[in-house]
Amino acid sequence: MNRRNFLKSSGIGFLCYPFFINHFTRSAPSDRIRIAHIGTGNMGSSHIRWFAGFPDVETVALCDVDQIHLGHASKLLTSLRPESKVNLYSDFRYILDRKDIDAITCATPDHWHALIAILAFEAGKDVYGEKPLSYSVKEGQVMERALSRHKAIFQLGTQIHAGENYHRVTEIIQAGVLGRIHTVRLWKNGGSPGLGFPSYENPPENLDWNMWLGPAPYSKYTPVRSHGTFRYFFDYSGGVFADFWCHIADILFMSLQPKELFSIESRGEIPYDGIADTPQWIDVDFKFKDLDIFWTTTPPPQVPDSEKMSIGAHFEGDKGTLTCDYDKKIIRIGNEEFNDLPEVPKTLPRSPGHQRNFLDAVKSREQPESNLNYARKMTLPMHLALISFRLKRKLTWDSQHEQFVDDPAANFLLKRDYRSPWSLPKY
Amino acid sequence: MKKILLLLFFMEIAFLSFTQNNCKFVSLFNGKDLSGWLMEGEVPGFEVIDGVLVAKKYNGSNLFTTKRYANFIFKFEYLLSTKGNSGVLIRCDPKKPWETGYEIQLLAPWTPYRDDLHCTGSIYGYVPVMNRPDETTGIWHQMEIRCDRTKITISVDGQITTMADTDTVQGMKEKLLSGAIGFQSNHSKDGEYAMFRNIYICNFDSDPAYVKKGFYEQDARIRKQAHEAATELGGKMIGTLVLLMDADEPKLESGAKKALFDITAKATDPHALKNEKKWVIKEINAGIKKSSTEATKAYLNWLLKMAKN
Repeated sequence: MNRRNFLKSSGIGFLCYPFFINHFTRSAPSDRIRIAHIGTGNMGSSHIRWFAGFPDVETVALCDVDQIHLGHASKLLTSLRPESKVNLYSDFRYILDRKDIDAITCATPDHWHALIAILAFEAGKDVYGEKPLSYSVKEGQVMERALSRHKAIFQLGTQIHAGENYHRVTEIIQAGVLGRIHTVRLWKNGGSPGLGFPSYENPPENLDWNMWLGPAPYSKYTPVRSHGTFRYFFDYSGGVFADFWCHIADILFMSLQPKELFSIESRGEIPYDGIADTPQWIDVDFKFKDLDIFWTTTPPPQVPDSEKMSIGAHFEGDKGTLTCDYDKKIIRIGNEEFNDLPEVPKTLPRSPGHQRNFLDAVKSREQPESNLNYARKMTLPMHLALISFRLKRKLTWDSQHEQFVDDPAANFLLKRDYRSPWSLPKY
Repeated sequence: MKKILLLLFFMEIAFLSFTQNNCKFVSLFNGKDLSGWLMEGEVPGFEVIDGVLVAKKYNGSNLFTTKRYANFIFKFEYLLSTKGNSGVLIRCDPKKPWETGYEIQLLAPWTPYRDDLHCTGSIYGYVPVMNRPDETTGIWHQMEIRCDRTKITISVDGQITTMADTDTVQGMKEKLLSGAIGFQSNHSKDGEYAMFRNIYICNFDSDPAYVKKGFYEQDARIRKQAHEAATELGGKMIGTLVLLMDADEPKLESGAKKALFDITAKATDPHALKNEKKWVIKEINAGIKKSSTEATKAYLNWLLKMAKN
């Protein structure tokens, strides 16, 4: 029984709760959140580090399909919190079976994100999930329904969202000082590599390759398909574009909430210098209602200061422009240039930090800033752009029904059947 | 050394005639008009007179194929006037032909500036002839230009004049490996001319067996050619790609997967011909039956669903 089920099923008031809880569990005081980390590689190690830094978090389980990762993760946790009593798993379903775990974080490759989150919601757990939200559009839709059915909390791991810069940019854009914003240019320099021509080999003993693949299509093992470079294969992800889209599209959605996307046209090329297949470069034109969005890989858009930022967003309004990246912003009105506009009041509450925001949400049961509903809207255009890239044609989108218009093959690519025995739960 | 070169020549000729026997030549000139060709600019450089293509106007517009070709044998007959000067541009962007491609020279033997690097049969300014062709003016000669990836071979009247590997010639490596083919307009002076007839091409990239070889290469430029040629071939290429996927080698498998995807994607375009889609579906189905690996079958089944959806 976890915190939420207890509240739900007992129907007793919050005041009684702290006195009661210890009778049912042997866990720490009731304001503690018991967390498990699933996927403990590069990003997962950051999760361990971040969450171990909160006094009200107890890390109780770690999971990875690679025993070497798991060993490193366990050592890392012990070095940070020597008192930790942690269980190690190679199958995340053992974690979901445990009733004493409140929340999980997920830093697996993209093709596992949705299924782990949905199964976690069903098991009554809250989720801090790495970006991108999901592998397919359909998965995102199911995640949203599952979250709402099980009243779970979800935060997407776009930690830049929590920073001061994005909050301030949002205030400036929303104050209207730049006039009506009609165009936004997003860019990220550099595309996905081809990764050369390695041979197949037997998976190393420490890696459960079948479990790593999970719902993705079966492939023989070669190291570049796995840790570190998996995202350069469409079987598991969507390359640099899918990796960075949500970081910079975040400021677009945070400030403007673009609506009624109706057309997507991608151009680009796959790499030919290796076995990987995600875009070596991709440029996309998105048409939203009253708003044009352009994405470019290389070179950056021809706007002032774009060459200084390897990733960025450029807002064009009737009265001025704003160019920003994760921590800088340059505002231009007329011939003048500003780093801030002090006359625009600070109206937005600041985040206490992206992970803290999630932990607070777990306790308050109010969704955090990068919640699932927001994250899904923000991630959707990225998926659609990759479908246009793969089909090499302009696509028309019906945003109300979330379907492409008159293009069955494009609609087919909104989802992917899972490899047996895995299946996407129905909602 | 000379003997070895001669031997190489004979081997090459034997090889050439072998591939030519299998090569399907297609006419590029109908003897009536310039359909299939592109002549941009104010002053037309070419006209059709009595079934022959004539470059008469001094410094008129050059003439280019509308289609792009990467690997091919291009053959034609030419006749030069006493001081005639023209040339063939290959693998070029018609907007910047000399920057992007190169010229095979056609030049009457009147000027003193006709060293081996600038005479008929040379790759002008890049590769000299090894063997001077017959340069007699006023009679028809046959030229054959063979481009096979980075290997270029030029023959005049059945005799090889020039051989080159573009990767080993300074200034050629950066050039395109695929593009339009063109004729240069009269580059001598008014009153001189060049004439062309019996213009044919055998496009290697129309042959699945040739395209297949590109998937064995690691050179990104060649892999790109093979990918594009395979996508262009569509249904005709699927059987070959299925065999490559089954080969249990990531290099072959990944290339074949990408090409199979693009072939299917193209056939599912709402504006594509219905017959093209039917053909692709039929070939994928045949591939599923023929394939020996579960991963290939699973991938083909997925493509089939996309196409039938």
